[in-house]
Amino acid sequence: MRISPTLTQVVLSALNISDQAEQTALQQMTTGRRVNQASDDPSAAASEVNIAYQMDTCDQYLRSISSLESEMQTADSSLNSAVTALQSAISLGVQGANGTLSQQNRATIAQQVDGISQQIMGVANLSYNGHYVFAGTASAQPPYVADPSVPGGIAYQGNDNVNSVQIETGQSVAANQPGSALFSAPGANVFQALSDLSAALRDPNATTDDIGDATTELRTAYDQLGEGRAFYGNTIDQLISVQGFLNSEQVQLSQQQNSTVGVDANVAATNLTNAEQARTATVQAAASLSGVSLMDYLSPTNV
Amino acid sequence: MSGLFGTVWIALGGLQAQQAGLQTSTNNVANLNTPGYSRQRPILQEADPIISGNVAFGAGVRVQGIESLRNSLLDLQISGETQQQSSSQAFVNAMNQVQTLFPDDTTGIGAQISVFFQSLNSLSANPSDLTLRQSVLTAAGNMSSAFNDTANQLTQTRQQLDLQVQQQTQQVNQITQQIADLNLKLAQLSSTGQNYASFLDQRSALIQQLSGLIDVSQINDGKSLTLTTKGGVPLVVDGQSYSLSTAADSSGTQHIYSAQGDDITSALSGGSLGGILQARDQTIPALQTNLDSLASGLVQALNEAHQEGTDLNGDPGGNLFQPITGAGAAAAMSVAISDPALLAAGSDGTSGSNGNIANLSAVANKAVANGLTPSGAYGNLVFQVGSGISSGNTELAASNAMLQQLQQQQASTSGVSLDEEASNLLLYQRAYQASAEAISAVNQMLQVVINMGAGS
Repeated sequence: MRISPTLTQVVLSALNISDQAEQTALQQMTTGRRVNQASDDPSAAASEVNIAYQMDTCDQYLRSISSLESEMQTADSSLNSAVTALQSAISLGVQGANGTLSQQNRATIAQQVDGISQQIMGVANLSYNGHYVFAGTASAQPPYVADPSVPGGIAYQGNDNVNSVQIETGQSVAANQPGSALFSAPGANVFQALSDLSAALRDPNATTDDIGDATTELRTAYDQLGEGRAFYGNTIDQLISVQGFLNSEQVQLSQQQNSTVGVDANVAATNLTNAEQARTATVQAAASLSGVSLMDYLSPTNV
Repeated sequence: MSGLFGTVWIALGGLQAQQAGLQTSTNNVANLNTPGYSRQRPILQEADPIISGNVAFGAGVRVQGIESLRNSLLDLQISGETQQQSSSQAFVNAMNQVQTLFPDDTTGIGAQISVFFQSLNSLSANPSDLTLRQSVLTAAGNMSSAFNDTANQLTQTRQQLDLQVQQQTQQVNQITQQIADLNLKLAQLSSTGQNYASFLDQRSALIQQLSGLIDVSQINDGKSLTLTTKGGVPLVVDGQSYSLSTAADSSGTQHIYSAQGDDITSALSGGSLGGILQARDQTIPALQTNLDSLASGLVQALNEAHQEGTDLNGDPGGNLFQPITGAGAAAAMSVAISDPALLAAGSDGTSGSNGNIANLSAVANKAVANGLTPSGAYGNLVFQVGSGISSGNTELAASNAMLQQLQQQQASTSGVSLDEEASNLLLYQRAYQASAEAISAVNQMLQVVINMGAGS
């Protein structure tokens, strides 16, 4: 059989193939990825779109959680100061119910109670990042304003609505507790209780029992506030736990991404070495092919 | 016996035959690197013997002609495989441009869809914040731009392919014209019995070039050659070529028409035109359709969700995006509102409510196009582009290997071997010298005969 005398094409195509293999290996090595374009592995590329989306979403949930957490911590510590102030108001009520006190002493205590009411109003009108935290969703306005027409003299102009924020796929948390569940719950209104106590202390006709009743009313409001405050503590706990979950999910997703489109560094290095060797071998073979033919041996002296 | 003078004639015939051999070999060597060249060799034949009594004396050698060594069956196979290979190559080249428009990681439509839904989630933590509202609108704008850019670039790619269709149709016409001219020459030469091997080589090379551009069927009855497309549209019939023409339809897409004026665009499948047309008329339009349905589905779902809510002023939400539908939807996608206060994040008319963000965010997990979520539908587009190229690459690799093998086979018949030519040259040279030696011997013998007369 006659052998094809032109090997250039074979050599060129072999070089082309080994060049391509080397380029691919080099790209895998430098990018750390097995799939550098969709055609490298179409279904892996499509999965990566999904994984990348989940990773981004995970990042976003973590950002939302951290912003929610700092707002809630601010709310929680403010509520803590309100609770402490209410405790001292209760102590003042107990102190005021002491029969040996003069009316003037009671009036002084009443002034302190009024001061506490002011202080708690400051807490109830807490603003964070431009919105009022305890106003329900009507958070553009301060929720509590002085209004002599309502019992207790302080009116709630927020609403009862609660926002919820998604913190994980399929899981949302309530982001706020309206003032109506904290300070001005029906039958447990902090401001009315303080105002009643202050009035009883100022009233010369009030008996120690009247003052005791006002203090009891204050205790009910105190309990309500404490309960409402627990929401923040619980939610912060929940946020922290979801944060941990999301962090581990991120790790898992990035492992998944790596196994879908990534390349093992050792494999990539081996591929590169192999491709380089194949190329060198082809080039050497090509070089040794060149030139020599029978023509070279036909010199005039030989003929 | 023909005597000494007859012997001179035999030697002279030998000289001529060896010279023909030398010339052929030299021609082979000269055309060592000429594409399409098939090696030639002299056809030598014994001359009719001279009968003298009972003895038949050989009368030397005659040069019958020069033959060209080619395997026309292989030519046909190579033409077929070239059509396949060029088609795959042109398709892969075109789609590689498209592939960059659909990245699978942190850029492009997929990433912008993701950023948009993230911005909504950020806003939910502080729904009255104007900066966060603005960043939702910005993300919506970026998402629209990503759709616009991708859609526009797909259109541009098709326009570039239109240009290639025009150029390559012209090339087809040039080549068919040349083939027809060669057919005429060959017809003239074969009627006069002259050596026309080199014209056959040229024609064969032109047919291979043509196979790289368009699908070609050959009918060769030894005398005349007819070339048609696979669909039977005549390209060359003997000395007559039939030009194809291109014309744009109402949408600006270039169609190819036969010389008879029939639209043959959809019937072409081979050669680079076949690959270009496949990308331009099938693969890219399918992508455009899916991209448009993703854009319109996403916009419709987001608009519906947006209208359920209330904006910062307590008014019901309008359209978040300009409504779009059908073909061109992705290119036309744009945000309908520019005032961040008009973003309907709330559900109860207060500025602090985020009740509608849940509705907007839910679109991320809703089937908006072909039963897929926005991100899923984008992933599907990535898959569509990738698998098209991937199978194109596989076909291309197979064609390349096949073509290479066929070309090697052809070269083993038609290729010029320097070793072979060197040994031929040696043989012809030696034989020439020997014939010359014979003449010289006869010359000496004649001298003896002449001297015989002179000396006596």
